[in-house]
Amino acid sequence: MSDHAKPKKTPKPPKAHGWMAEYADDNQLLDAARKVKDSGYTRIDAFTPFAVHGIDEAIGIKPTALPWFTLCAGFAGLTVALTMEYWMNAVDYPYIISGKPYASWPAFIPVAFELTVLFSAFTTVFAMLGLNGLPRFSSPFFSNPKFDRTTDDRFFLWIGSSDKYFNSEKVQSLLTSTGALSVEEVREDDSPSDIPKPIIFAIIAGILVTLIPGAIVLNMRNAKSGESRLHVFFDMDFQPSRHTQTSTAMFADGRVQRPPVPGTVARGELGATDPYTLGYDPSQTVSTDSATAAAKLVSFQQDGEVAGDESKGAEASETPAVEPSETEPTDAEGVAAEEVTADPGAQPAADEAAPAAAAGVPNYAWLTELPVEANGELFELGRHKFEQHCALCHGYGGYGNGLVAQRAAELAQGYWLQPANLHDQAIEEQPVGRIYYTITHGKGKMGSYAASLTPEERWAVVAYVKALQRSQNAQPSDIPTRGDIAQ
Amino acid sequence: MASIASPAIDNTIDIPGRRTPLVLGNQTYASVTHMVARISEEAQPAIWWIAFAIAFPLMLMFGGLIGYLILTGVGVWGNMSPVFWGWPIVNFVFWVGIGHAGTLISAILFLFRQNWRTSINRAAEAMTIFAVICAGTFPGIHVGRAWLAFWLTPYPSLNLWMWPQFRSPLLWDVFAVGTYASVSLIFWYMGMIPDLASFRDRSKNKWRRMVYGLLCLGWSGSSRHWMRYEKAYVILSALATPLVLSVHTVVSFDFAVSQLPGWHTTIFPPYFVAGAIFSGFAMVLTLLIPVRAIYNLKDLITPRHLDNMCKIILATGSMVGLAYTTEFFMAWYSQNPYEFFTFWNRAFGPYWWAYWIMFSCNVITPQLFWFRVFRTNTVIMWVVTIFVNIGMWFERFVICCTSLSRDFLPSSWGYFSPTWVDIGMLVGSFGLFTTLFLLFCRFLPIIAISEIKWTISQHAHSEHRYKHGHEHH
Ligand code: HEC
Repeated sequence: MSDHAKPKKTPKPPKAHGWMAEYADDNQLLDAARKVKDSGYTRIDAFTPFAVHGIDEAIGIKPTALPWFTLCAGFAGLTVALTMEYWMNAVDYPYIISGKPYASWPAFIPVAFELTVLFSAFTTVFAMLGLNGLPRFSSPFFSNPKFDRTTDDRFFLWIGSSDKYFNSEKVQSLLTSTGALSVEEVREDDSPSDIPKPIIFAIIAGILVTLIPGAIVLNMRNAKSGESRLHVFFDMDFQPSRHTQTSTAMFADGRVQRPPVPGTVARGELGATDPYTLGYDPSQTVSTDSATAAAKLVSFQQDGEVAGDESKGAEASETPAVEPSETEPTDAEGVAAEEVTADPGAQPAADEAAPAAAAGVPNYAWLTELPVEANGELFELGRHKFEQHCALCHGYGGYGNGLVAQRAAELAQGYWLQPANLHDQAIEEQPVGRIYYTITHGKGKMGSYAASLTPEERWAVVAYVKALQRSQNAQPSDIPTRGDIAQ
Repeated sequence: MASIASPAIDNTIDIPGRRTPLVLGNQTYASVTHMVARISEEAQPAIWWIAFAIAFPLMLMFGGLIGYLILTGVGVWGNMSPVFWGWPIVNFVFWVGIGHAGTLISAILFLFRQNWRTSINRAAEAMTIFAVICAGTFPGIHVGRAWLAFWLTPYPSLNLWMWPQFRSPLLWDVFAVGTYASVSLIFWYMGMIPDLASFRDRSKNKWRRMVYGLLCLGWSGSSRHWMRYEKAYVILSALATPLVLSVHTVVSFDFAVSQLPGWHTTIFPPYFVAGAIFSGFAMVLTLLIPVRAIYNLKDLITPRHLDNMCKIILATGSMVGLAYTTEFFMAWYSQNPYEFFTFWNRAFGPYWWAYWIMFSCNVITPQLFWFRVFRTNTVIMWVVTIFVNIGMWFERFVICCTSLSRDFLPSSWGYFSPTWVDIGMLVGSFGLFTTLFLLFCRFLPIIAISEIKWTISQHAHSEHRYKHGHEHH
């Protein structure tokens, strides 16, 4: 703020500060400045509305040290940034991210660059102001209203009274001789240089008010308090989640543990009701007594009460899949499921104890027809997969004489179970769904191929096994006649 | 008294052997001061009040929506798997891009001695600051828990016991945008100091004199001060030049350093910077064409200034177009099916409309500026700049949303739809921007008065030399 707006109350004139000449043009100013300088004066300065080029030599202004400030600040910024990044990411809190080393110098470049610029830019501005002695709100030059035009359209040249050659009359006449519009004496500004009291109060009050929150926080940090802390934002401190075995108001039934959403598919159970992925039709597999019991158990666990009458439980369409059978299907249809039981161990080999039954192949309503179209592509895929996964045990012809089997025979170890001959009558008579099931779940020493073969590939292998069986037991009558081909 | 002769001159045409005047209409030093200072001294025209009456409520709405977001959560936005960077980031990049023209004009054009910058640099710098304010708001509230955004700064925290991760482009961005905002602000403020002193010295009112007196830090116009000031200006320009290029480069790293097809490209930094300059100049024109008409500044912001800016828009718009086509070429040339799919999907996928809005607004419309008619007709120019603004917003939308919506896992593919909050925030950010700009026009020197006076003096000198040169022949 400049002070000359205030009325002057001083009775005696203030001390002289120098003489000031006014010009209308930068050229006139430059000429005058050169003349004044040539006359030997050193305490001179010019005041202009814009940076007049050439004035520096004209009045002998020495170059500024400002760039050195910038340079030092730039180096400081660079050093601070690199040290900070290295120390924070490689020393104090090292952890690996995106496979980069702790000290990833290339990744440190952007921040290092930004801080270099930030430090040097701010230093440049503040150093410029500091070297200029700004902010400075009171100065002898502001005491003359004429001087206001220096930021508008007038150029001023000043010779200071502190110059060693200063002589008031001589300076005045010298300045007049430079063709100045006017020449005036500058006097020290002796108007009260203090900042007006209301402003001081306002500033102090403002500072105090801004200190209050910080003071409260500091006080809170040091004091002990029995009260729980104030939560402006709850973040994740308070959640409606509950521990197991407790109740909640979130759900109508008040239970914390939630039953699975309808339609939930358990892991590995995708397509659990689809004959295509199972190899049998689960809807045709009729429940037995033990299945009903199992259903009851499940309904008890789910609802906390015994399910209604037995027949209802038996007919329930969502009867859980229990393993109902040990009985080897007697014919290719394999639907004789009425007598199956749930637990394989409970009734061992009740019927004709076929080898399959001993290994626990359940008795399902096996699919008897391929659920996929049997075409050349399918057989080709089946051959490929059979030779890849099955032939090493069962042999390329399916006789159970693959390389593994041959080697095992050489070793003659007692626990080795010969891979099945796929041309056994019993296996030949198996429905396609049953073979599919064997591939999916394995049997005895043979492991499951569900992980290596997709359902489609499994069906392809089944088709190939069937074709293999047919080919090894073909009759002359199987060879198509010319007429058949023609058809 | 230096003044410009030759009235009614068309200064878009170069006169061989002479400097083209950058200020028209026989201006003197005093008339320039008056022309600029009167804007803040006189009552504002009706249109200012109308604009303010529209912009200010929009700004309040923006604040209200931010409050709603903070109290409710980021679910109020349309950001949804897989597009987690929706409109907030689009708006951020859009505004940061706009914020490039100011410092470019004040720093790079200064280093290249493009004196025509003096009429437009102040307003452009102000625009930069306000655009960066809008830009900074979005990532600030996008972090989810906006009240913890200060965690981004490296400070010794007793709660976290950990430090920011300096290998992440997102953190580089914090530093780049933060540095850019603060350096632009101080650059802008420093540039205003002499003009604020002009305002102070013209003040009739004591309080006005005191406020401007404080703001100008007691500037006296001493040649010693001017010398250091000029030096500081050159240094700041030299610092701000790489800075301005670095900011959008780092913003582009947010995308390019990731592994996503459509983002992971080395072309991004130059492409983003060209786009930023393009959109920044468009916004400068969008603002200055009405400003020079409303405040009758046609002698200071002359047809030549507009013409030059149009040429820059044409050049950068064509660069952006080159970048778009290069991306497509590389997608094909790389023979990478994912890369190619991404770009094919951009142009012909579900967001085809956004892509073609972007392409036609950014690449095709600026081509009008090949013709002088369009570079001198302010109405057409203004319409084109609006198109460019729209196109550049869509460019960021296309980059952000098309790449994200096609995840690596086709089962998670999605389509981004904004919510009313998204739309409200975009509109609200324009409210904030416009309000700040209107207040700037109302209170601060919108044209660099002292620099214009310097141009006038330069012109007078060169005219003087020209005339004397002729005498000697
Ligand atoms: C590691 C050696 C091995 C491989 C590989 C192998 N199996 Fe077997 N397979 C056996 C053995 C051993 C048995 C006899 C299991 C039993 O009866 O306990 C058998 C039995 C069978 C049976 C008869 C099941 C029954 O009901 O008696 C069929 C059909 C069969 N395998 C098909 C295949 C097919 C198809 C593949 C390829 C996907 C295959 N196997 C791969 C060892 C293998």
